[in-house]
Amino acid sequence: MDGIVRVVFQNFELKSTSPIIRTNAGEEMSRRGSSSNPCDLLKKIKEFTRCLLEDLRRGRSPSVTLNRYRIYCTDPSGKCCCSSDLHMGKEIVSLQKECHAYRLDVLLRVLLIIQQLLQENRHGSKRDIYYMHPAVFSEQAVVDRAINDICILLECSRHNLNVVAVGKGLVMGWLKFFEAGKKFDCINSPSKAHPVPVFVEEVEGIVSVAQYILIVEKEAVFQRLADDRFCDTNNCIVITGRGYPDVPTRRFLRLLIENLCLPVYCLVDCDPYGFDILTTYRFGSMQMAYDAKFLRVPEIRWLGAFPSDSKKYGLPERCLLPLTAGDMKKAEAMLLRCYLQREAPKWRSELEMMMQRGVKFEIEALSASSISFLAEKYIPSKIQGGGYI
Amino acid sequence: MEDFCKSSLFYSDQHLCYAEILPPSEVRARIEVAVLNFLRTLISPNPSISSLPLINRRSNNRRVSHGLLTDVSSIFLSHSFCARSLMKANATKAFVRVWKVMEICIELLVHEKKVTQRELFYKLLCSSPDYFTSQLQVNKTIQDVVAFLRCSRYSLGIMASSRGALIGRLFLQEPNQEIVDCSTCGSSGHAITGDLNSLENLVIKSDARYIIVVEKHAIFQRLAEDRIFNQIPSIIITAKGYPDIATRVLLHRLTRALPDLPIFALVDWNPSGLAILCTFKFGSITMGLEAYKYACNVRWLGMRGCDLHLIPEQSFIPLKPWDLQIAQSLMSSEMLQENYREELTLMVQSGQRAEIESLHFHGYDFLGKYIATKIVQSDYI
Repeated sequence: MDGIVRVVFQNFELKSTSPIIRTNAGEEMSRRGSSSNPCDLLKKIKEFTRCLLEDLRRGRSPSVTLNRYRIYCTDPSGKCCCSSDLHMGKEIVSLQKECHAYRLDVLLRVLLIIQQLLQENRHGSKRDIYYMHPAVFSEQAVVDRAINDICILLECSRHNLNVVAVGKGLVMGWLKFFEAGKKFDCINSPSKAHPVPVFVEEVEGIVSVAQYILIVEKEAVFQRLADDRFCDTNNCIVITGRGYPDVPTRRFLRLLIENLCLPVYCLVDCDPYGFDILTTYRFGSMQMAYDAKFLRVPEIRWLGAFPSDSKKYGLPERCLLPLTAGDMKKAEAMLLRCYLQREAPKWRSELEMMMQRGVKFEIEALSASSISFLAEKYIPSKIQGGGYI
Repeated sequence: MEDFCKSSLFYSDQHLCYAEILPPSEVRARIEVAVLNFLRTLISPNPSISSLPLINRRSNNRRVSHGLLTDVSSIFLSHSFCARSLMKANATKAFVRVWKVMEICIELLVHEKKVTQRELFYKLLCSSPDYFTSQLQVNKTIQDVVAFLRCSRYSLGIMASSRGALIGRLFLQEPNQEIVDCSTCGSSGHAITGDLNSLENLVIKSDARYIIVVEKHAIFQRLAEDRIFNQIPSIIITAKGYPDIATRVLLHRLTRALPDLPIFALVDWNPSGLAILCTFKFGSITMGLEAYKYACNVRWLGMRGCDLHLIPEQSFIPLKPWDLQIAQSLMSSEMLQENYREELTLMVQSGQRAEIESLHFHGYDFLGKYIATKIVQSDYI
């Protein structure tokens, strides 16, 4: 593969002034930032529509080619190319098939709404867009797919289209930044939680004296650390996505890492869902596979909880809960993911150990003997002692 | 009944029972009194283990008080008691569980720590494995302790997260902190702290004319981004779903500080939306004891039956069985006023529900105009 990425319209060649075509992957990545501002996107939308109209005018059946992306496959041979950020094949959507015609119809309607959002400098959610044409959009999933298709087509991220969701994440610790002119100064009260900004592109002036970033899976653990004033005694930034992290949280995390270059540790429950959340932070999610390279954190280290921690830290047997059938199924599916064997073999062995033992436990169980155990002993000793993989 | 009244250690002369937010020293004192009382009956000449008098939390003990001078009605639990008795074989463990939880609460209060209900479950699982086997048991026992000591979970040292946020024409100052201007907060608003004590002591200054309570985070974000609070001088507050105690405390505090401001609720047209509105308005149905103090006179602005013509037919979604269950429990409670009952009947009969976002059919500006029109026309119930 020579890494050339381009959007091809059937029987049509775009003019070479368009920034999309005939660039190699490296250039494309650096151009991504410059060609994703609203003006350029509006130009691309106009160009795309013009091409379709040309096709129709000349009596040709218009079609759209979309790149397909994925972040992992279940090929055990290790010879897949999932690790490269290139697309895995193309999908051609044309008016020849009826289901494709519907898909194209939805795509064009959503594109029109997005054009309006960009022109008016407004933001909308996916749900809002669904309600604009509820007769045509039979369900939310249809709109979601159209938005993904448009992101692939215009080679941008979802937030560039002014499609946003509500923010879920929380952050606290030794951090100061500006969001659209308003200062967020966590330094005066490092144990006070702030919501992670939704419009991450408006964040600037990041200043920090922290020594590391700690990601926690659950809000309850975040609150435990806040209540124990963890950040007062440990020089760090704590961030949580409250479960599966949403896009703003992942983007904010990437922004912090790019600006501050600090080590990143992740604390999740010792169960298959915790492990899945961990891999989402590190490798990205399948749903946002086309955007994975801007959202993932390859530098992340798994701090805990490991299956081996239960013995090491004297967790009572009663706190170990059995893995359900659903847990086992999920864990088995995750073991097949190609990136684990290739890039995180130690993580894979811990997952295997979890399955062999057939038990799981939550982070809160570590507080059973002493409430502040997590903040005072577990986390600091693991970080200083190198107990992470 | 008389004996029960007398045997309740606290507020036995009042018919209206509620759980207060107390300082740690007061809660410790109550636990100590309870223990001493128990020991006293043990060493008395005729030792008999008395039952624990707990406020009955069943629906037949729920009452509604309608304010005489104000428009505020609220739920409270009356002084009917049920007992946790040591004498009945199957209830023995429940009796002991109450004491076990109080034991941990004293420890937390002494060390000035807070735990979540899940952490409490693990602690009890390890320290008293014979008595606690599930999270549900722990939650029920906590409610028993609240009913026994008449103090809120927060006072016992059980952390509750605060999900609420607010934005608008408001200046807030927590004791010894900077003044926060809530109109420059960014689209996520100002997060409401979970520290209930500091909420009670907030200094509030505002030139808003209305308070708008919003059910969903997405709508809050839209109104915040459009800066509706500058066009309609208001304070916008959300609990992102069913209101937690911190959001209710803050709303109550706002109404006390700014008594002339009417409160409007913007909820989806479905039984859950109405239930959320009722929780702000009357108090939580399940948390009867913690409900009472924070009821506010909230009026239903939208979405209501009269607005349904604004949205296209395809925007309606069928009601789920869960919605019907909520509708049934709302219908059966006597506090629901007549006009709300009519709306609820309409919902159930049509078998459909609608979200506020469906108003976007008319464009993004429509929501702001809709709210403004309704307020100006006094179209609320």
